[in-house]
Amino acid sequence: MTTKPVHSESSLVSDGTRRAKSVPVSRATPAPGEGPPAAGGRPKWTSLEFGEIYEEHSRPIYYLALRFLGDPTQAEDATHDVFLKAYRKLGEFRGDSAMRTWLYRITINHCKNLLQTWHQRNMVSNADDAIWEGAVASTENPLRVLEVKELGQRIQKTLAALPEEYRLLLLLVADERLSYDEMAALTEQSADAVRGKLHRARKAFIARFHKSA
Amino acid sequence: MEPKPSKLRHEQKQETIGQTGAQETARAFSSVEEMLREDAATNGPPPALAHRVADSIASEPKPARSWWQRIFSRRPANP
Repeated sequence: MTTKPVHSESSLVSDGTRRAKSVPVSRATPAPGEGPPAAGGRPKWTSLEFGEIYEEHSRPIYYLALRFLGDPTQAEDATHDVFLKAYRKLGEFRGDSAMRTWLYRITINHCKNLLQTWHQRNMVSNADDAIWEGAVASTENPLRVLEVKELGQRIQKTLAALPEEYRLLLLLVADERLSYDEMAALTEQSADAVRGKLHRARKAFIARFHKSA
Repeated sequence: MEPKPSKLRHEQKQETIGQTGAQETARAFSSVEEMLREDAATNGPPPALAHRVADSIASEPKPARSWWQRIFSRRPANP
């Protein structure tokens, strides 16, 4: 199997600034004399194959966690945990489903577990304005920043007001790689049920979105 | 009294930016999916996360391969 060089994530979103303020960059202890990794450098993957998997799927996995949990810091932790879990269970992946679907399954279970914990229900979210501002800090045009910030906040507010099932279906259908059958498998229902619920979810989203203006 | 040329230019520039802003904020999406895709495109994982995952994986033992992977990865014997 040939391997491509693994590049770091796009610098479109500079969450590094936000993260530096609130959460340590890495849990792992760097080797003596090595120091913390530079945010702009390439990560050193011990498994190049897994590095490719991360590069290909981390963006949709992070986005699902972000909008499902509603908190950038928790989404980052969840994405980390999902990929670590996937690495540990890589031997169990038999290729019956697509890698993306398999990762989504881990993500959905992980996020649902997080939402169900007492801690999650009672903790005060730190998704304050400073975090959202940090999320769009790298965009050059300030008007564009305003637009991105408003759009993200309104989407988050709208999704949070929807039933969990609608929220999940809308986030999954936004991924063009997923078929209705795969969405049905992920949410444990028939493809027809997915279609029907998506129709209602879209209507609910649009109504809520207009109210959030 | 007419404004100085430099001030006039400044005001014209301000007006142009305002118009651009109105165009951008008034952007319409044809579907919920399109809006969410636009949102996803501007909300990628932070670059430091890749390092964090790579570091965590580096400290993990190599995952065991399943029986079918072990069988299919065997090289055929030389004739």
